[in-house]
Amino acid sequence: MLDLIEPALFAILTIGIVSAGVGVVLANRITTSALLMAFTFLNIAGMFVLLGAETVAMFQVLIYVGAITVLILYGVMFTPQSARPYGLFFQTQKYWAALFVVPIAIFVAFVGSVGFHDSATVGAKGGDLMPLATSVFRDFAFPFEVASVLLLAAMVGAIVLVKRDED
Amino acid sequence: MPVGPFGIDPAIWAPLRLVIAVLLVVGLVFNGALAQIYLERKIQAVIQDRLGPLHTGPWGLLQTFADAIKLLGKEDIRARLTDKWFFLAAPSIVFSPMLASYVVIPFAPGIVGADLNVGLLYLTTLGSMTVLGIVIAGWASNNKYSLIGGLRSAGQLISYEVPQIVSLVTVVLVVGTLSMVGIAESQPGWQLNFLVLPLAFVTYFIAGLAETNRAPFDLPEAESELVAGFLTEYSGMRWAIFFLAEYGEVTVVSSIVTTLWFGAWHGPFVEVFPLLGVLWFTLKTYFFVLVFMWIRATLPRLRIDQLMSLCWKVLIPLTLTNLVVTATLLLVFPNTVLPVAIANWILLAAFVLVLPYVQRRRLVALRERLRTAA
Repeated sequence: MLDLIEPALFAILTIGIVSAGVGVVLANRITTSALLMAFTFLNIAGMFVLLGAETVAMFQVLIYVGAITVLILYGVMFTPQSARPYGLFFQTQKYWAALFVVPIAIFVAFVGSVGFHDSATVGAKGGDLMPLATSVFRDFAFPFEVASVLLLAAMVGAIVLVKRDED
Repeated sequence: MPVGPFGIDPAIWAPLRLVIAVLLVVGLVFNGALAQIYLERKIQAVIQDRLGPLHTGPWGLLQTFADAIKLLGKEDIRARLTDKWFFLAAPSIVFSPMLASYVVIPFAPGIVGADLNVGLLYLTTLGSMTVLGIVIAGWASNNKYSLIGGLRSAGQLISYEVPQIVSLVTVVLVVGTLSMVGIAESQPGWQLNFLVLPLAFVTYFIAGLAETNRAPFDLPEAESELVAGFLTEYSGMRWAIFFLAEYGEVTVVSSIVTTLWFGAWHGPFVEVFPLLGVLWFTLKTYFFVLVFMWIRATLPRLRIDQLMSLCWKVLIPLTLTNLVVTATLLLVFPNTVLPVAIANWILLAAFVLVLPYVQRRRLVALRERLRTAA
């Protein structure tokens, strides 16, 4: 019976990710989309836990649900909206979208069914804190620092761009 | 047939343990909130030279029970123009992360929901999820006061998360583990982390006050400016759930303080009777809950710009300095924490002595400017 729990959790999380992802695209109001996106992030964090990567799952929730979704909601609330609900996505683009989506879906299904049978990539149980820490702060310390300096420069640039001249 | 604890089959024991644990925690949160509301009223009454609740039951002890029954019996009101699903979901989104926090809190040796190796990270993660519920509550209420309250809360919580997490990281550097049980076990007897890292404790406590929306940081629900902030449109049990979540958060923050700086369950005779750890843990935690209430009754509320400047100009530089100093000293002297302790006490003294001086200088400069402008 206990062997069934992991596939069952996987199924629940997959349904959550896919249905919330569809909801993000289909929802009429942009706040609903933002909240459904938060739900998708939560389910992806659950996937990381299933894979034995608790630290990544925690950071996923901390950064994406706790910070980024709230910032998106902030942006949405301060942006003027039209009074009626709008559905731009399914007026002109759906045939073009189908043209691109179907081949990619077939490709993903093919790769998923053929590849990823290597059990060594799946069975990484037993905590990911130490591997994560050593890879970020020892093996890839220099790229990590370069990326953080780049992000800092981008952030300072963004602040300079949006700052008004009044004071 | 395999036999687990109490002679029960492990396949039955695992779900049974889950049910017992969840019921215990729900009971803890509900009764804790009742006790804390009573304590809050009595302590504020003592500090303000009043008597507090007196007539319902002996010493007014049953007053909070009467209030709880009143809240349960109230009509569930929802204004027509609110956003139905978000309005209904917001209290649960605030309440459930708080409830989930109790999984990793070490009450006594062996009495812990799960000893996660990322326990501390788990607690900060759940703390950050509360923002989402409060923003949703503010937005779904379709009320300008609620919206301002929700947005204030988001700004406040996201800002104060930074000094909070950096303070926690300082402790983790010294202890060397993120597991709550590991941190508790690392400070037996008198080797409390508080003696090593007092500054991290003070900065975490200030950030924790802001994280739980308690006075003097209760701007999201500032009743003199915003009616009741994000709570304006809520009533009855939904309103009560927000308050249960707030008191639960206060308990969680106090438990984190107890575990990280004050030795969790450690106390006299715990080695002989492990269950006694629950008593020591509860006493220490409730001491900090009382400090929360004492601060609420003593300090006036901050303005929003003062709140932000305290976080970004004082707490974040201070905690980052503390982190760098601690990390450097730990690298230079890997075998002793004495240099870290000395540096931390010096920084704390500087914080306590220099900050009022700087504030007074700024006030004098401000008055000077106003006088010349007039």
